[in-house]
Amino acid sequence: MPAKPVVKRLPARRGLFAGFKGNVDAITIGLKYLVDPKRFTLIYPNEYIKLDPGYRGFIVLDPKKCIHCSSCARICPAAAMRMIKRMEEDPKTGKPKMKLWPVINYQRCIFCGYCVDVCPTEALYTVPYHDIVYENMAEMDWSLETFVKPPEHPTAKEGIPVKYIVDEEKGLVKVRAEEVEEK
Amino acid sequence: MAGIIDLILSIIFYPPIYQLVLVGLTGALVVVIFIIWFERKATARVQRRLGPYHISPRLAGLPQLVADLIRYAFQEVIIPKTVDKELFVLAPIVATVLSILPIAVVPLTSNPAYWPIPMDYSMLVALALTTVSPIFLIVAGWASNNKFSIIGGVREAFVITAYELIAIMSILSASAAVLSFNLVEIVEAQRVWYILLNPIAFLAAFLAVLMATSGFPFEIPESENEVVAGPFTEYSGLLYGLNMGAAYMKRFAFSILMALVFLGGWSPYTPGEGILSGYLIPSLIVVAKATVLMMIFSLTRSIYGRFRLDQALEGAWRLVFPMAVLGFGLALLEAYLGVM
Amino acid sequence: MSVWVYGEQKSELGLEGTITRKLEEDLYEVFIGPQHPGSGHMRIIVRIDGDIIVEADPDMGYVHRTMEKLSEGREWIKNVPLFERMAIHDACNVTVSYVMALERILGIEPPPRAKYLRTLLCEINRIAAHLYGFGIFGVFIGHSTMYMWSFADREVMVELAEKLTGARLTHSYPIPGGARRDMPQDFPQAARKAVRYFRRRLDEYRKIFLDNPVTRKRLEGVGIIPKKIAAELGVVGPVARASGIKYDARLAEPYDAYDEVEFEVPVYEEGDALARAWVKFEEIKQSLRIIEQAVDWLEKHPREAPIHERFWAKAPPLWKKVFEAEGRVKLLPLMANLKLPPGRAMARSETARGEIVYYVESDGKTTPYRVRIVSPSARNAIVFKYIAPGYKVMDLPTIYGSIDYFPPEADR
Repeated sequence: MPAKPVVKRLPARRGLFAGFKGNVDAITIGLKYLVDPKRFTLIYPNEYIKLDPGYRGFIVLDPKKCIHCSSCARICPAAAMRMIKRMEEDPKTGKPKMKLWPVINYQRCIFCGYCVDVCPTEALYTVPYHDIVYENMAEMDWSLETFVKPPEHPTAKEGIPVKYIVDEEKGLVKVRAEEVEEK
Repeated sequence: MAGIIDLILSIIFYPPIYQLVLVGLTGALVVVIFIIWFERKATARVQRRLGPYHISPRLAGLPQLVADLIRYAFQEVIIPKTVDKELFVLAPIVATVLSILPIAVVPLTSNPAYWPIPMDYSMLVALALTTVSPIFLIVAGWASNNKFSIIGGVREAFVITAYELIAIMSILSASAAVLSFNLVEIVEAQRVWYILLNPIAFLAAFLAVLMATSGFPFEIPESENEVVAGPFTEYSGLLYGLNMGAAYMKRFAFSILMALVFLGGWSPYTPGEGILSGYLIPSLIVVAKATVLMMIFSLTRSIYGRFRLDQALEGAWRLVFPMAVLGFGLALLEAYLGVM
Repeated sequence: MSVWVYGEQKSELGLEGTITRKLEEDLYEVFIGPQHPGSGHMRIIVRIDGDIIVEADPDMGYVHRTMEKLSEGREWIKNVPLFERMAIHDACNVTVSYVMALERILGIEPPPRAKYLRTLLCEINRIAAHLYGFGIFGVFIGHSTMYMWSFADREVMVELAEKLTGARLTHSYPIPGGARRDMPQDFPQAARKAVRYFRRRLDEYRKIFLDNPVTRKRLEGVGIIPKKIAAELGVVGPVARASGIKYDARLAEPYDAYDEVEFEVPVYEEGDALARAWVKFEEIKQSLRIIEQAVDWLEKHPREAPIHERFWAKAPPLWKKVFEAEGRVKLLPLMANLKLPPGRAMARSETARGEIVYYVESDGKTTPYRVRIVSPSARNAIVFKYIAPGYKVMDLPTIYGSIDYFPPEADR
């Protein structure tokens, strides 16, 4: 069933009390929200959103699964991911061997998640948080050592985890994360 | 030596001065801080936000305004090279002082010992004083030598022509009803508050004060999205703060006047002898009524957008001005029938 | 009015210098923007006579990022996140037609499930973008409550998009051959709740904004674009539909699942700012209908990877496991260096602001030979020049807000 265009008319505004009714309606709505604001502001450093596991946050490497294929570096649209060469001992032969490892530069990363999706062995995964502050640009260029473990999440130490639930009455409702998980 | 102290004391206790200092400056500062906070908080509630919060959440962010005041006070005042320096600096100061001046002439009690001036023509003096300050907003716009400032100043000029007549006529309608320019007599004559006897005049005065103090939907001279900040575009620091404060000061002065004329002044209290009963309590009642009025004024921000300049003027001349005339006629009728 | 060329100099390229006109007497020239609270990333040079606009020159290009040229140096799929940056709050609508063009060159058709998923995100984006537009419009005419409300309610849609794609704004959702994720299990319930919430909420919007006498007075009869002029200027989207032109890319050439879902395209004939606001308002309602239908369809049909066979047939078991567990569609490593056969394709889609057209040409390499984008805001910007003169200075924000001009999209 394709769409159909429908010509509509602007609601008419005639009559002596049209303006009066409009004013009364607007003021009523305003006062309604003055009494019950239904707000869902996140008081950020004190509370933080505990995001769903599917959220595309910081990307971390699981070195055990990595097969050094460079797919992630090839697909990265922002050239944030790159491969570095590293001499490592081969566990089988015991001889040093050149290996390629991905590292990521968070100055450039746009969190599109292509690398995670393209990784053939699921060696890359995202952590569901996004709010990490760096003091300088150099810190954002991660080395392999930083890349293999999830970054620290400082807000989680101080804040209360909350979740937002879509609600019919209020749009979004802010609830404690534990309450949602119990359900 | 004693003579000098006497002189200083006599200046301080000269009624218009202490009224200006006590109610006009201290009172107005406290009320304006409260009102700006209330406006921000109420608007935030309607808009589903928190409003001022982080400076002392326990006080619901009330010290935020004090913090803003301190910030304005210590910010650098930038005076651009192209401006007319003397006028540029003087305009906001004079405008602020003048906008608070009507308070120096209104009675806040029926006890003659605490009247700032002889009350026979106090209504006229107060109304006359309210009309002086807007000139300096135009001066501020002109002295800034900035296109947006000039457009803002011109808009201010247009708006003044629209509201002044309405404000004066609708407030004077009380004089017509009581047949006196004496504010004390007007207050004392209100067995029933004048707002109930003449709601048309009150509504006209309400709208005129909104226009006078750039309240929504008449926030036209400073409308941010067309003329940046109107006459205040070039201002910074304390001078900008003064400009912004001046509108609220003016609203406070008007509100006191309206509280006296329409809301029964110090009723239900009957001022007695002594400074407490004769002055402080009645003046607190008046200020409280004015504050309530200002709280109602500040609710319009969250409900309305702004009118276009010509629409505001058209509305003022075609709708509110006839309303003010009607209110005046009603007042005359009431005077004829002896209602008041 | 004579044309003046400063110093009558011409550069080596044969280009004339800055062309200026001598200002007529009694005209006042105001530069609105680019550093102005009501201009966005653009400048409008307005010449006014008293309070009447005599001339308005939109001066665009302050956020020009050479997107078309940049795209020529990037592999096909990498352009999706790039083009998203034109209008990040409308990400799926803006990129879906690029992806469609690639699919046309590849000669593949995404599976129906992918089509529905894309449609779903497109409509979520459309509502979010309309609310964004409403918010800006509201604050332009001084109605700060509309601004705060629509931005707060936009959060509901952003939340839904986040559930669906894992990102709040730059979803990078469509890929050649399908979509990147299936919806999570709890999505239909949340989407239905959001739809019901918005139905109720729109009534309140109407009361405080559209039917508010002050707003109404401000919008009625401002910036009228008659039908004929609208056609001549070539405006698109809500601007055209408010002038009585029954044109919508979803209508003219139904893409994705738009030929299967039922919805209306609201058209108004007044052509003023109020009609443009109402078109957007009614469109939100229709988008809610589409969201409901898409969610119903997706729930009824079995979960299978929403991507073309070609990219999924040889999928190893691990990928299927990932899809079952997380709904994530794994990409083939060849996606990075996808080679398109030589050819050219055009595709269009209806974004919140109007029709966006992509012309894509491939010469058989891994990068495009040429991508041409015609974005709706660029087509609507002409309204400033031809419609604004004759109205008051205070009408300029109204016109700006009502055509919902978005500089980053226009400048590309």
